[in-house]
Amino acid sequence: MAVDDISFDIYKGEIFGMIGPNGAGKSTTFAMMTTLIKPTGGSIKVAGLDIEKDAEKIRGIIGVVPQQHSLYPDLTARENLELMGNLYDVPKKVMEERIDYYLKLINLETHAERFTGGFSGGMKQRLSVISAVIHDPEIIFWDEPTTGLDPQTRQAIWKLAGKFNREGKTLIFTTHYMEEADKMCNRVAIMNTGKLVALDTPENLKKLSNSTNLEEVFIHLTGEEIRD
Amino acid sequence: MIEMNLKRELRNSWIIMVKEFKQLFRKKVLVVPLFVFPIVMIVFFGYGMGGTVNHISMLIVNDDTGVLSNTLVQELGTFIPKNSDIKMFEITYTKDMTQSEAEAKINAGEYKAILLIPEDYSDSIVKNEKPTLILLIDQSDTTSSGIIVEVMKQILAKRQKDSILLTVPEIYGSLKYIDFLTPAVIALTVFFGTVMSTGYAVAGEREDGTIVRILMTPISRGAVIFGKTMHQLVLQLARAVILILAAILIFGVTMNGSWLLVALILVIFTFGAVGMGIAISAKSEDMTAFQQVSMLFTLPSMFATGVFFPLSSVPDWMRWIAYFIPLTYANDAMRIVMVKGQGLEAIMGDLIILSVFSVIIFAVAINLFRREA
Repeated sequence: MAVDDISFDIYKGEIFGMIGPNGAGKSTTFAMMTTLIKPTGGSIKVAGLDIEKDAEKIRGIIGVVPQQHSLYPDLTARENLELMGNLYDVPKKVMEERIDYYLKLINLETHAERFTGGFSGGMKQRLSVISAVIHDPEIIFWDEPTTGLDPQTRQAIWKLAGKFNREGKTLIFTTHYMEEADKMCNRVAIMNTGKLVALDTPENLKKLSNSTNLEEVFIHLTGEEIRD
Repeated sequence: MIEMNLKRELRNSWIIMVKEFKQLFRKKVLVVPLFVFPIVMIVFFGYGMGGTVNHISMLIVNDDTGVLSNTLVQELGTFIPKNSDIKMFEITYTKDMTQSEAEAKINAGEYKAILLIPEDYSDSIVKNEKPTLILLIDQSDTTSSGIIVEVMKQILAKRQKDSILLTVPEIYGSLKYIDFLTPAVIALTVFFGTVMSTGYAVAGEREDGTIVRILMTPISRGAVIFGKTMHQLVLQLARAVILILAAILIFGVTMNGSWLLVALILVIFTFGAVGMGIAISAKSEDMTAFQQVSMLFTLPSMFATGVFFPLSSVPDWMRWIAYFIPLTYANDAMRIVMVKGQGLEAIMGDLIILSVFSVIIFAVAINLFRREA
């Protein structure tokens, strides 16, 4: 069982981090919250909607930035965004304005008509983020947003995250970078072997384990054994 | 409410279809498997195994005591098939040879055909009786033998109707091979093309994660499948039309039946093939796995269903395998329409079987896609 009997609330407008070693159940929890898979028991509500009964409604108000960049390499940056906008049924005029705005924001406006197949990892990641918010979602799910990125792109991604949060969007993400979770998150959930082992603000977690950084708390709670 | 939903589903399917076409037209290299390859296949098999056949070595054993056989012999000697400017037969003449001696020569491969003209040929005609010609042909060369018989019948038909009996021992067909080949090659190409490109689209999009992103939008999985199916239907029908036109223009293949019926067969069949592509890809880990598993289904279809040879000429066990492969029925229906020019009733049985196959495999595919993708 990937996730075993966990229960928690995420508050509107917060930045919520999920950390845990490989196989802790983060991705499964994520997939359930984003309606991609159904839980075998229990219930999950997203924005007050039941993930089993109202899956399509939920998908309309959440944005998911997948771990893979997940862009069509043979479509241009703009076409990728338009495809998502169309599937989210964003009115054409609003969509085009948003696309122009966001492309400028992530510094890709000069690459709008290029196929994404030729993009660098950083460019793809930036575009991938924008693809997930083209419909102005209330909640953004973000799976390992900065894994494998250069420091500049990481910083750019976090700036974007901060901007979205200031706009009132709730952010939920998973990460392996403790200092990012420490710096960015209002609250952090630590998962291990399918269970929730801690959930609190970074400050409280550190106080509780008498540590100065989140990494120590993490190792303290999940053990030193390497997971595969 | 339901109406709104349906409208939205159709709209979403349309978005997916447009996206698929956009991607298709950008992959220039795909033109090769889509259009060039099937034409090359018809060219090679068509010319290699059929089409017009030239330089057929023929022995005429003329025992006729009269002179009426001379015109027949002359006509054979100068016969030039349509679509060609080369004489079809290279004729050697002889006399006094028994049928078994002649058969030995065929067996030895000295001649492709031997025509035995009996002593009483002229006599019988004069007496208003029916003389019997015996035509021995090399049965191992199914292609030429079919054509030889066809030509003999043509030549004899030009003479007094029904006045000459042509006996062709153990002959199985009278079709031009290319006519026989083309409808099945089209069904085969549509089948291969659909299974492969649907499968690649699904397996590939799963590998690069794009399908997950699509499924994270409010679009239903049904609409994703329907969009991809529509794309295939349009694509495969366009392909079939181009291939049939090419076959007509290049080989003078005759299209005796209704284009609408051809479309009907292919639409039903394409549905099944889309289902098969999705089902296989849903069960495959990645593109390579998909390729291997799909071969398992497509290759037997190619060789066991009588694309290249008539099912009547294969052993029973092989025919039984063919009965379980949907392409067999598509081939049959395509031939009945394109070659024999028959109507809907003639292909009803095939269509029912194809529909049952398509519905079942499509349902399985949607089910697997729901759970796996």
